[in-house]
Amino acid sequence: MKNGENYNLNSRRTFLKSVSAGILLASIPSFLQSCQEKVITFAIKLSGTNHILGHRLRTKDFPKISRTIEIPYLIVGGGIAGLSAGRQFKKRGIEDFLILELEKNTGGNSRNGENKHSKYPLGAHYLPLPNIHDKEVIQFLQESKIITGFKDNFPIFDEEQLTFMPQERLFIKNTWQESLVPKFGISKAAEDDFGRFFEMMTDFRAKKGNDGKFIFDIPISSSSTDKSFNFLDKITMKEWLLEHNFSSEELFEYVNYCCRDDFGLGIEFVSSWAGIHYFASRKHNSTKDKTENVLTWPEGNARLTTHLKAFSKDKTLTNHLVYEAKTVGDKVSVKVFDDAKKESFEIISDKVIFATPQFINGYLLPERKDISKHFHYAPWLLATLTVDNLNDNDSFPLCWDNVIYGAKGLGYIFNQHQNLGQIQEKKVITYYYSFSSEDLKKSRKELLSKPEKFWKEMIINDLKIAHPDIENLIQEIDIQRIGHGMISPVPGFISGNSRKEASQSIENKIFFAHSDLTGISIFEEAFHQGINTVNQLLDETTVA
Amino acid sequence: MAKNFLKFEYLLLFAVFVIATCGLIYELVAGTLASYLLGDSVKQFSFIIGVYLFSMGIGSYFAKFVKKNQLNTFVEIEILVGVIGGLSSVILFILFDKVDYFQFILYLLVFITGCLVGLEIPLLMNILKEKVEFSDLVSNVFTFDYIGALLASVLFPLVLVPQLGVMKTSLFFGMINVSVAIALCFLLSKELRRPALLKFKAILAFSILLFVFFFSDKILSYSEQKLYGENIIFTKATPYQRIVLTHTKNDYKLYLNNNLQFSSADEYRYHEALVHPVMANAKSIENVLVLGGGDGLAVREILKYKEVKKITLVDLDEGMTTLFATNTILKKFNENSLNNPKVKVFNRDAFLWTKEEKNKFDVIIIDFPDPSNYSLGKLYSLNFYKSLQNITKSETVIVIQTTSPYFAPKSFWCINNTVKEVFPNADAYHVYVPSFGEWGFSIASNDLKNDFSQIKRKATNLRYYDYQYKKLNFFPKDMIANDLEINRLDNQILVRYFDEEWGKL
Repeated sequence: MKNGENYNLNSRRTFLKSVSAGILLASIPSFLQSCQEKVITFAIKLSGTNHILGHRLRTKDFPKISRTIEIPYLIVGGGIAGLSAGRQFKKRGIEDFLILELEKNTGGNSRNGENKHSKYPLGAHYLPLPNIHDKEVIQFLQESKIITGFKDNFPIFDEEQLTFMPQERLFIKNTWQESLVPKFGISKAAEDDFGRFFEMMTDFRAKKGNDGKFIFDIPISSSSTDKSFNFLDKITMKEWLLEHNFSSEELFEYVNYCCRDDFGLGIEFVSSWAGIHYFASRKHNSTKDKTENVLTWPEGNARLTTHLKAFSKDKTLTNHLVYEAKTVGDKVSVKVFDDAKKESFEIISDKVIFATPQFINGYLLPERKDISKHFHYAPWLLATLTVDNLNDNDSFPLCWDNVIYGAKGLGYIFNQHQNLGQIQEKKVITYYYSFSSEDLKKSRKELLSKPEKFWKEMIINDLKIAHPDIENLIQEIDIQRIGHGMISPVPGFISGNSRKEASQSIENKIFFAHSDLTGISIFEEAFHQGINTVNQLLDETTVA
Repeated sequence: MAKNFLKFEYLLLFAVFVIATCGLIYELVAGTLASYLLGDSVKQFSFIIGVYLFSMGIGSYFAKFVKKNQLNTFVEIEILVGVIGGLSSVILFILFDKVDYFQFILYLLVFITGCLVGLEIPLLMNILKEKVEFSDLVSNVFTFDYIGALLASVLFPLVLVPQLGVMKTSLFFGMINVSVAIALCFLLSKELRRPALLKFKAILAFSILLFVFFFSDKILSYSEQKLYGENIIFTKATPYQRIVLTHTKNDYKLYLNNNLQFSSADEYRYHEALVHPVMANAKSIENVLVLGGGDGLAVREILKYKEVKKITLVDLDEGMTTLFATNTILKKFNENSLNNPKVKVFNRDAFLWTKEEKNKFDVIIIDFPDPSNYSLGKLYSLNFYKSLQNITKSETVIVIQTTSPYFAPKSFWCINNTVKEVFPNADAYHVYVPSFGEWGFSIASNDLKNDFSQIKRKATNLRYYDYQYKKLNFFPKDMIANDLEINRLDNQILVRYFDEEWGKL
């Protein structure tokens, strides 16, 4: 009821009193706890992509082929690109297709985990509001009831699937402030840097090439073919910032954060074309008031996987690893290992779509061995923590996205943020860490070889900056390791030829669809890849 | 003699060490309390360190005027530092709600402690200068001084605050301070003048500190009492909130998390205005829903209508509803309404419950806490009102408490506009409740033809409402706000309006 009455009068002293009383009261249990400290343990689960099965591609010691089946259309890989391809087949009236997936669930980077308190993402966890001209994504969101209707030609997004307020906070100088761009306690020079930077990004956002298309658009395939901005792909984002006389630490840290978040790589390694694409490709034009909000769910983009999956129900085999593919006459022969039954079999298809990343295709298709070497991937580590509480200084309340300035990781997502209820008994958060380095292979080795204790300590030390007693509040940790998390748009990659070459079909029978072919690892790119490849495959067949 | 002297020197150096430790602790205590109360910890700590160091300088300056009885003065200062420093946190705690001169007292205490600590070192060097070589003296004194400072600054955040809390930390170090003085009195009694008097002073000081130390919890609750300015007769902490009942003369007040929930002297005005306009107007009142309102006071009003067959009350806090169904004093307020056989209580989250509920209700009465944070803000969102449609019939009438249209007109009308987005027929009205001020409500229905001022039935024995709805729904100019956004989950604009409006008072 009416607590506004004493709102201001009491807030300050209430706060004070509750803090002081809290400190006194807390002294007893914390003392007891400190006695127990040595025996505090919590469950840690270390999991990740099935790299053990995946690594068998190197040796290919699979059982002999026991049988052969035929299916006209085969999709290898059940990530977003593969599932989107399945959806597109269905939309074009084709039912006789099959999706093969190595993991036990489809979704790729858009899968999720679940514990008794919440679902949580095992990778991608949000979708920014799509550009209004991205008809395919808008159509998909509408059929998934994420867009509930249209008003004045603008889509109406479901209130429950838009990120609730408060969305983002940044821990800097020992306080939380709203939004990831620091607002308080920064110098005038830093403020000016931010202002100028965002102005430049706004200009880039509106820039169009000589064909009238946007220079920076999503998907990349619908952006302008005008090459006059390709020079941006020659240098790193950091070089670009320096070239434009940006100097404030806060701006560098912010842009670095954004690049690590979207590409896995920081400003030192990512091309400035990609870095600018992050800011300029989203036009914020799908709402009347130019909202920059994102769509999110407790399970992250696994929600989108669920919607896509509906189109390939009963047409998906999981725990199935494709280990070889070649054209035989006018057909394609694909060898598959069923990890559940431990048997191998052959699939004969008219057309096959490889919705797998290129580093995998290098093992499956001899003709792709060389080209796959030009694709580099940043490893990722995610840790979902179940905690009693987060006990921070409450200078700004818990948000969906919580970033700690200067931390090693990318902060954490509060997975129950979209919960409509008032209180969560336990809080479930997912901590994100991307390996931004020159030697991604070395990072990958480190990721897979270091023991769970090592990662646990790193995560806790990182979170401790903002949550000093988090270690005592943890109930369990689920660490997810992703060796090849994202394609790395290093300088030269997006404007170079490898992407184009790797996108070429083989003899009009083997086709490719994956976000790594675009250079940008986001849902929309993978989604369009699936659609475009199916269209290409069917339309070229019709022509033939 | 040499051996004895060694003891003398080290004893005094140990005293330096203790003073330095204690001095810094008092400073840290002051800094911590100041940043709790005044915010901006960087500023507070910076000012306090500055004032402390400066006053040490003043103390050092005045040390040269102490020519006689230096050792006596040294011990006396030691006692004084212990008492003032030790009690400083207690004094500050009690002055919590006197924000106006809190700062003055705070800096005064820091200043005095600083002066006294600043006096000690030059004084000590004077005492020892004839007995020890100067270079040894200076380096020894400062070594112990700085080690003490390090010890204090490490112990304070890591051990003392978490284990003892701020108040007990300062008292504890006050006692250490004084016990050094006591030790000096006894060990150096030959060197001191009138040692007996000093001993007495030191022991008295120690006993005072010890006494306060043991009663510090009581003092805490005393300062809490002072905060309310009333006698606390009952407190209970549930997992969701702290419930405090106070009593002055003939008035009982209930606070939830220190926010006034009701005053027994005038709550009838609020609850009659909340309940009777809808109950009088709705086509049917057989099946009534109350969301929030775990105190049972709204239910008491609803039960005044005999036609009511069933009342469903959904309140998150089981501790609250149980308390109001069992506590003798509280049961008197709600006339034992929560134990009425017509009433069914669900301790569920209202939003989640509403989403899942299959039944529809004739009247819905919503009495949630004000939208003072983002969690509560959800309960005033467009999405929540849409969810209400699940349990609403075409002729259902809904009332919602919507904060004060006088203190928070933007918040008030923002809620009303949001309700209007979902329910085509909506209106607002307000009443004066002395302990709250002007307070308001939104009333809504799907039935466009329903006129809220139409009275279909009346209850007897009301003290305030006379079924003249038209007297309540007029809003003068100072209770109007325009150009407001709709409150949605993804903008929670209401929480910002609310914060802005109540925050500026």
